[in-house]
Parts: sequence; structure tokens; C-alpha cells
Amino acid sequence: MGLLLSRLYSVFESFSSETPARILMLGLDAAGKTSILYKVKLNENVHTIPTIGFNVETVEPVKGVSFTVWDVGGQDKIRPLWRFYYQNTEGLIYVVDSSDRERIAESREELFGILDSDEMREVPVVVIANKQDLPNALKPSEVADLMTLRKLTSRKWFIQAACATTGEGIFEAMSEMANMVKEYQAKSH
Amino acid sequence: MDSGVVCDGTLLHWGNLLKELKDEIAEVSNEMETIEVSDESKNNPKNKQMSIGKKKFNMDPKKGIEYLIDHQLLVNDQEEVAKFLYQGEGLNKTAIGDYLGERNDFNIAVLKSFVNLHEFSDMILVQALRQFLWSFRLPGEAQKIDRMMECFAERYCELNPGVFTSTDTCYVLSFAIIMLNTSLHNPSVKDKPTVERFISMNRGINDGGDLPPELLTSLYDSIKKEPFKIPEDDGNDLMHTFFNPDKEGWLCKQGGRIKNWKRRWFILNDNCLYYFQFTTDKEPKGIIPLENISIREVPVDKSNKPFSFELFATGQDIIKACKVDKEGKVVEGKHNVYRMSASTAEEKEEWIRCIKQSISENPFYDMLAARRKKAAHVK
Repeated sequence: MGLLLSRLYSVFESFSSETPARILMLGLDAAGKTSILYKVKLNENVHTIPTIGFNVETVEPVKGVSFTVWDVGGQDKIRPLWRFYYQNTEGLIYVVDSSDRERIAESREELFGILDSDEMREVPVVVIANKQDLPNALKPSEVADLMTLRKLTSRKWFIQAACATTGEGIFEAMSEMANMVKEYQAKSH
Repeated sequence: MDSGVVCDGTLLHWGNLLKELKDEIAEVSNEMETIEVSDESKNNPKNKQMSIGKKKFNMDPKKGIEYLIDHQLLVNDQEEVAKFLYQGEGLNKTAIGDYLGERNDFNIAVLKSFVNLHEFSDMILVQALRQFLWSFRLPGEAQKIDRMMECFAERYCELNPGVFTSTDTCYVLSFAIIMLNTSLHNPSVKDKPTVERFISMNRGINDGGDLPPELLTSLYDSIKKEPFKIPEDDGNDLMHTFFNPDKEGWLCKQGGRIKNWKRRWFILNDNCLYYFQFTTDKEPKGIIPLENISIREVPVDKSNKPFSFELFATGQDIIKACKVDKEGKVVEGKHNVYRMSASTAEEKEEWIRCIKQSISENPFYDMLAARRKKAAHVK
């Protein structure tokens, strides 16, 4: 874990060298977002002051890099509202529970719904195929197929197998995100 | 109370512990009432099962409802379950929210019936939402909020025809209001929206058209000024216990194993002595139920602090009590005596007087003792 932290730290440092990065971490409920957030938060406390409303958490592991996390979901009718939260996003981490075969289609619908909005145009995506430790987990390639990730042609994407509870794969996901965000920033600034 | 005092786990246990104490008090009071009316001294098993069912519900809503249905205390019917949750007596509002948010047909049916028990006629939308969100703790998952707002909007529009052109408009707007409350008041959201942004966010939600900006502005102002309140639990709230206590004040308390002195804020209430690190703490560091407890002065030559007095157990060595350890776990206290020191002689006298009164004012403990004796005989 000490090793993971120091490796993560150097990745986050490299993120913020030029411009601040705003990264969203989304996914269905119980996909494992909060566990991942805890892994990347380094020494910062995750604030949990009770508020009526959506579960939202933000950490800033190093200055200039912020991760904001929330559940997505709900019907199409409310989707237009979310786009206001997508503004100024430069990277999306999308978390999938690889062991929940029943909801993989639902998860795909949500992802494509998010990516459809104008604010997310060309924003790079790292899909985390989480919960690889569970016996019936889909392999990352199977997740990619079922989520039809190859249809994502107008942006960079990457899929990473992970297990949030042990931290396996988290460094790799963040490192890939850092590279893609830097590339995205270079292109859009 | 034998089993109630010692427990491990989180601070939630304080609530459970207190509730157990209160339940037992209620049970004994019930019992006393029945003694007056008749010689029938057996407590009502139905009441007891109801109380167990509610406790189960607060820990695991699904199991609680199953228990109540199995024991014929609740009819297995969406309307009946909804009524039970709506009355909510002794139920934890987070547990109610969890139950209503579950995604299966029965729970969704209960949610609908639950919403239909609310009366929103002639209320403006934000008022109705405030009332609705007081009846349970809204879960944080988007899908659950989505379902709940859809049900809410249906009910609101049914009772207030003509306010919105369609139920969907009301549903999307209600959802947007929850988002607004989150972004304005959740400290994790750094980027606080302006009223202009709220208005543009709601563009086109009125069947493709816009809602009047005055309406959206007034909603924005209302939420900005007054966030949705976190609903309080019915009677199960520690604040009720610490509000209006018999006596409160600073005392120094000597450690159980390491005999150092620490300054603690003490509250005497409900025949329990609670102590806190700070006056503003919401949860106590320790609870000492004044059951089988006596109090005595400590002579000056026996203590290294002046104005000392101590609590000691009558009948056993260790005082039954619990406290929060360094890791935040609730553990059993290790005191043979609890020694306290006041800052003046008058303060000391006053504490002794109040604690004595609290001990002697307690027919409930005599009652418990009698019951235990009886139970021991039967065995």
C-alpha cells in the first residue's frame, strides 16, 4: 500500500504540472466508486457532512487535481439535468462492477447517455472493470465487448481490470488517465 | 439491562443502548400499569414483539418487516406496510428511506402507497417537498431519488391539478431541486451554481418549453436560504436525552486503570450519568447507568483531589458501564468505583444530592430487581 501511494503521488504530480484537471468518476450504485476514491485520496480526509441529496464526494489528492464522484442513473427524462455537472470535465473514470452481469447493459446505457452530452465531447474515458476478485467476474475484454466500447470512436478510451479493495489496477488506471488528460488538454488549449 | 450495557461497534450503539434502556423502562411502566388494573402481571407479548420488530427494522428494515409479518403484527400488504412506515413510531428515518428505496416490486408498491398517505393540497412545490423529505431520510443513490421524485410528483400533481402542465415537468423539476440542494449545501461540491445556471439547467423541461423564471428564482432562493433538513428520528434521538437534563457541569474524573484525572462534561438524565469530552460533543464518551449504584464522599486524606465523591456498585465489584475507546469502539468500563472531583464544596454537595435523588427516584429499578428475583425462583 505504501508503494501504491507513492506511485499514485507521482502520477498526480505529473497531472497538475500545467493546468488543473477536473476528473469525474461515475458509475452505477455499488460499482465501487467510493472504495476507489478512498484509494486515491492519499492523506486527505473524505468529508462526509450529511446533506439531503445525492451522494457526492470530492478529493484533491494533490493541488490542481480533483476527483468528483457520484452515482449516475435514473430515467432519460432527467438526463439533461446532469449535463450541468459535466461542464469543464477533462477526464471520465467510469466504474463497472464486473461481477454484476445483470446490470452490465444498464451500465452501458448510462455510460453512453453521459458521453452523448455536448459537455463530454472528446473527453477521454477510463473504464475500470472493478471487482475482479469475485469468482464470477467478467474479464476486462468481456466487459469491453458487452459495453460496446469499440463504438467510442471520437475519443480516447482505455479499460483497466481492478480490485478496489486491494488497490490492484488503480495505479494503472490513474496513470493512463493522466496521460490521456494531458493529451486532451494539449489538444483543447 | 444485563445485556444492554455492554456492546461493541460504532456510535450507533449508543442510540441502540439508550433505546433499549428506554424500551425497558416503557415495558416496566406498562407492567406497573397492568398491576394496578388487575393481578395480571405478565407483560403483553405482542407489545414486546412489536418492540423487537421495530428494533430489527432499524438495524435491517427488510428483516424487521418480515419479523412483524411473521408474528401477525403487520399485514403483508403494501398499504398496511406503508401506513406502518408513515406513522413511523420508534422507527429510524434512515431505515425507512432504505426500505422505500429498494428496487423490487413490493417495495416500490409500498413507496407508492407511502407517498399517497401524504397530503399536499394547496401547498407550493417546495413546501410539499420539505414535508415529504421530513418523513424519511432520502437515500443518496440517483436511481432511488429518481423513483421517489417520480412518485412524489404524481401525488403532488394529483392533489394540485393545473399547477404543472404535466407530471413529468413536476418530476424533473423536483429532481432538479434535489440536485440544487446537493450542490448548494454539500461541501464536496466546490462549484456552487448561480440562479442563472439553475434557470438554464431547467430549460425545456416544461414539455419542451420553459418554466417561468420567477418560479425558478423563488425555488432557488428558498433552497439557498434553507437547506432540506435532515429528518430527526422519532424518540430515538440522543438530543432528546441531553436536552433539559437533571444536572450538568464539569467534573474531573479519575481513570479506571490508570489513575490520572481528566476533565469531562457530565450530564445526569434518565437515571444515567453521561460524560463528554467537550460540551458540544454530540455523542458521549461514556455512559454509567445508575442501576445498583451508590454514592459516597471521598475523605480528603483518601484522594489527591479535593471535593471528591465516588460511585460504587452495590452487589458486585465492577460497575456496569460503557465507554468509547481510542479507536472509537464502545467497550465495557473497567471501574470498581467512579471517582469524580468537583471544583467547589457546593458543587460537590449538589452533584451528590442530584445523583442520590436520581438513584432513589427509581421505582423502576426496584421493579426490575423484583422481576429478576422472581425469574430466578422460577428457574
